[in-house]
Amino acid sequence: MRPILLSGHERSLTQIKFNKDGDLIFSTSKDKVVCAWWSANGERLGTYSGHQGAVWTVDVSPNTVLLATGSADNTVRLWNIKTGECVKTWDFPTAVKRVAFSPDGSKLLAVTEKRMGFLGTIVVFDIAYGDGNLNDLDVQAEEPSLRITCDESKATVAGWSYLGKYIIAGHEDGSVSQYDPKTGDQLENVQAHEFDHQINDLQFSPDRTYFITASKDKSAKLISASNLAILKTYVADTPLNSASITAQKDYVILGGGQAAMDVTTTSARQGKFEARFYHKVFEDEIGRVRGHFGPLNTIDVHPAGTAYASGGEDGYVRVHHFDKPYFDFMYEVEREQQRK
Amino acid sequence: MKIAANEIHNGFAFEEIPEIQQLPHHTTTHHVSTREVSIFTRKNSPDLSLTIFSNYSNADWADDDEFEDTLPANQIIENKDGTKTVISYRFNDENKKVKVTRRIKSTVVREHVNPQVAERRSWAKFGLEKGHAPGPSFDTTSVGENLIFRPSTNWKAQAAEVEKNGGEQGSMKDQLKDKKVKCRICSGEHFTARCPFKDTMAPVEEATGGADIGVDDAGAAGGLGAGSSSYVPPHMRKGGTAGGEKMGGRFEKDDLATLRVTNVSELAEEQELRDLFERFGRVTRVFLARDRETQRAKGFAFISYADRGDAARACEKMDGFGYRHLILRVEFAKRTT
Repeated sequence: MRPILLSGHERSLTQIKFNKDGDLIFSTSKDKVVCAWWSANGERLGTYSGHQGAVWTVDVSPNTVLLATGSADNTVRLWNIKTGECVKTWDFPTAVKRVAFSPDGSKLLAVTEKRMGFLGTIVVFDIAYGDGNLNDLDVQAEEPSLRITCDESKATVAGWSYLGKYIIAGHEDGSVSQYDPKTGDQLENVQAHEFDHQINDLQFSPDRTYFITASKDKSAKLISASNLAILKTYVADTPLNSASITAQKDYVILGGGQAAMDVTTTSARQGKFEARFYHKVFEDEIGRVRGHFGPLNTIDVHPAGTAYASGGEDGYVRVHHFDKPYFDFMYEVEREQQRK
Repeated sequence: MKIAANEIHNGFAFEEIPEIQQLPHHTTTHHVSTREVSIFTRKNSPDLSLTIFSNYSNADWADDDEFEDTLPANQIIENKDGTKTVISYRFNDENKKVKVTRRIKSTVVREHVNPQVAERRSWAKFGLEKGHAPGPSFDTTSVGENLIFRPSTNWKAQAAEVEKNGGEQGSMKDQLKDKKVKCRICSGEHFTARCPFKDTMAPVEEATGGADIGVDDAGAAGGLGAGSSSYVPPHMRKGGTAGGEKMGGRFEKDDLATLRVTNVSELAEEQELRDLFERFGRVTRVFLARDRETQRAKGFAFISYADRGDAARACEKMDGFGYRHLILRVEFAKRTT
């Protein structure tokens, strides 16, 4: 496969998202600009400018009308995807590290940082989509409909489970917790990763019944959304920044590498800047894809499972469209299963 | 679902890098009926297709001024084989006129996509991209080198093997692994230079050669044979034969594990051939001869194996194999000398 290199960013990537149809890719980086790309050929559709600080996170509404971004300038912004206009800005006391639309697009959660005496919070906003013709998109709620405060350990990542039934959050201390999105009560809390090893990414399966977490403790875990039971563990030899579950084939992709501050002291090979493919069920590593010059900060998989994009500390996005050997690979038991 | 017909824009204005054709266009999620094929072929070799009109190239220098700031209109010529030749003019960095000749084959691809996706295709660019021409822009999008990604349960062992065989150093080391060192003086298992009897038993000619260097300096420097003053060609020199043989031997060894496959279909793909032949062992190289203009296979291919045993087995099994309505003929490649 020939990767497409997208070099529209000047600083390291922070998050990449495919939209639900998989024809667009949104990427954010520390250089304040959000980019939209066509996934098929890597053409840049446009940029969303307005943030005053590093953009940490991006999410796209299920109908590809609104784009939400969270930034170090203490704001969450909503954008009209088609025109690139900013339609709404919410201000916070601290930086926003993660935003996520609920599966039906009616709610948006934002994770705020713990800093300067403020505790880390998860806030939820109700989202309106105007009259259906991209008008009145700027009519949005001013105040959050829910505010969850994380007293013990701040949340670093969060997302919505199936049907928006739970809010799942990963914490700085390596634990994963489940919240009720109506009342904001914590229903469960599990120490999924080693204590004090931050969870860097949390991505859901296509049906959102389970999710994968990537942690600094060099492992990724597949966890059930309903009871936070740990289903699978994928062990790597480097701190992980991102993990993603592929549709169509039963793989997971992990990305990581040495912490950015240690990069200059090691060669590219030792830095382990590769995307690692594991079999989702058998937990075996089945291959790696090289290419980045720095650690992989973020990975996202095309919703149909035909491509994946990775963004690195080196400022590049690499879009890989899988070719035949990727789809052909099967374990012997899987082959037998298929024959029956 | 509805049908959206999209004429994919091919004129990326990427005359410098025709490889941009490799961009996978619209590998869509929903029932792709045909695949995009867009071929950029340059009419001439890369340096010929850019013709620079400098001032003195005009026949009449007096016309220069009025000719200077206008560019001739673009020309589009329809070719017989369905391709278009587009001749365009532009100014380069040195303000000279440049004529760019491109041959473009465009293919219309129909695919089934969601109506929303079809509607999105018509969106105009915005932000920093506002007003840019359709197609990927040169400064933000490029195509990386081809990566071979084949998932496998024992990928670590395979990667280690590739690493080991990949470098010239490694392969030479392997070749010499079980070679014995033999001293030319005492036939012991050490290098001649390290021979304990070097001073007492050194061969006569070598001793004289060493002595000669002092006397007949010019001759030695000229690469003449050590014994006489007449010229001895390298392959006739002492020790020269061994080197020459080794060199040839390496190529021969390479050739020994290479199969020539003939009667290959025009529509064959390298990947398909690789898949076919990889069943017999590790394939190091697949070469499928293609027509330069049409990119179609010419009907023959070479498959190199890492191991001759595998090649022999593949030769036996694949000779007469039916592939794409033709029956393959497989034989060992002959040396090209």
